[in-house]
Amino acid sequence: MKIDYSLVSRRTFLNTLFGGWLLAFMGGSAYALLKFAFPTLGKEPDFVILDADQYMGIPENSVKPFAWGGKLGFFFKRPDGTTAALKGVCTHMECNIAYKPEERKFYCACHKGWFDETGKNIAGPPPKPLEFFDVRIEGKKLMVARKGIKVELPKA
Amino acid sequence: MNCPRLRSWFSERYDVDGIRDLFRKKTVPAHRYEIAYYTGGTTLFLFAIQFVTGMVLSLYYIPYFEHAHGSIIEIVTKLNMGWFFRSLHHWGAQIAIVVLFVHLWCTLLLKSYRKPRELLWFSGFILLVISIFFGLSGYLLLWDERAFAAVRVATGGAGNLPLVGGFIKAFLRGGMDVSGDTLTRFYAFHVSILPLFTVLIVAGHVLLVQYHGMSVPLSVSGQTRKDVPFFPNVFYKDLIVWLIVLGMVVTFATLFPPEIRGKADPLAPAPENIKPEWYFLFLFQTLKLFPGQIFGLNGETIAILLITAGILFLLFIPLFDIKSQRGEKSPLFTWIGMIYLLYFLVMTVIGFVS
Repeated sequence: MKIDYSLVSRRTFLNTLFGGWLLAFMGGSAYALLKFAFPTLGKEPDFVILDADQYMGIPENSVKPFAWGGKLGFFFKRPDGTTAALKGVCTHMECNIAYKPEERKFYCACHKGWFDETGKNIAGPPPKPLEFFDVRIEGKKLMVARKGIKVELPKA
Repeated sequence: MNCPRLRSWFSERYDVDGIRDLFRKKTVPAHRYEIAYYTGGTTLFLFAIQFVTGMVLSLYYIPYFEHAHGSIIEIVTKLNMGWFFRSLHHWGAQIAIVVLFVHLWCTLLLKSYRKPRELLWFSGFILLVISIFFGLSGYLLLWDERAFAAVRVATGGAGNLPLVGGFIKAFLRGGMDVSGDTLTRFYAFHVSILPLFTVLIVAGHVLLVQYHGMSVPLSVSGQTRKDVPFFPNVFYKDLIVWLIVLGMVVTFATLFPPEIRGKADPLAPAPENIKPEWYFLFLFQTLKLFPGQIFGLNGETIAILLITAGILFLLFIPLFDIKSQRGEKSPLFTWIGMIYLLYFLVMTVIGFVS
């Protein structure tokens, strides 16, 4: 059957077909490439378990680093002997902080940020206090967990 | 040099005279700002040095976080001329960035970005961004303490952008944090992705210059002047400038080999008095200006947004500067260019001395 009148010419039809094919191909390729190039993200841990003997014995008014996933964590013994654990990463630009025992403050060398013993941001650019963790000791295990996370160890 | 057989071999196949005429016909305007014309060629020359030295360094560098730092120590201590090429690559990069900034400000202040050369400005701007990213990615390859902290700050800063920030940050880092994955990724950027884009965009940039011809600043465009043939007059001057620059790079490379700090340790505190590369100092100093909280909002996000706005304004300046688009003088944009320049210089100096 011959149609006398059509909105679509043969040329438009072919252009649409090839254009559409090209677009679909490029779109699909770009999507796949980006999907591959974007990394699969790990997650920060909910808790880590440390050896209590290595950490509980540190002198007062000092810190001992531990690995919080790939980040720096500090086990902290305050001058009064109480202990705490915190993430040793500045809340400003994620630089690792250091503890200054003589001033009893945490210090970030990147942009000169200061935090007090409780982790409160007291000077410089940091916008938020440091993140503190819950610390619990069970036998020889020192459990450092994100606040509000309940750590259930398997009975072994 | 005269090889008639070789010449006839080519002229039987290609229009040699036609190509030679193209060179012969190319002229360059002569006026009191003509020195600005040499900045682009010098940048190109320095990029060529970077490509060559980078190629030889990549023969020995090991892009894996356990060995990267050691392999550079090996290059500078045990290999023939290793210290020289690493130093040359370092100083070539430094001076390339200097010349690139000079080129940028010449273009900005002489308004060479105006119609019809907007695409030249945009492509040049992309090349500037690529160059800075070259610097950042190359710097991390050292895998020393300073590089580690610098890349954390730079990628973390990008993470403060609203909406796309987290995505960009994770994409650059290859994970949630700067790690060995980041090193591998930055190596890929540094030696494969960025160089390819650079070659393509530089080719486009240079072709556009040939297409449009050299821009004549508005303030001298009305005057009668003589155009000088590119070949040999300007070309030889280009060579002189390149030779001087090469001399400078080699001198710096020999007298001031760059330091290598201790191997990066993700659990070590950021080193004291840490400062980024000088071309990031103005950003670093700007970040320090902002307090943690501004009217209850995150100070950093505001800082990053303002910086982004400033950079975007610079990028789109050919579209905003309507007067120079029409070929009229536009002192307002000269002032804006001067403000950008002064801000950059003052903040860089403050960053150095503080």
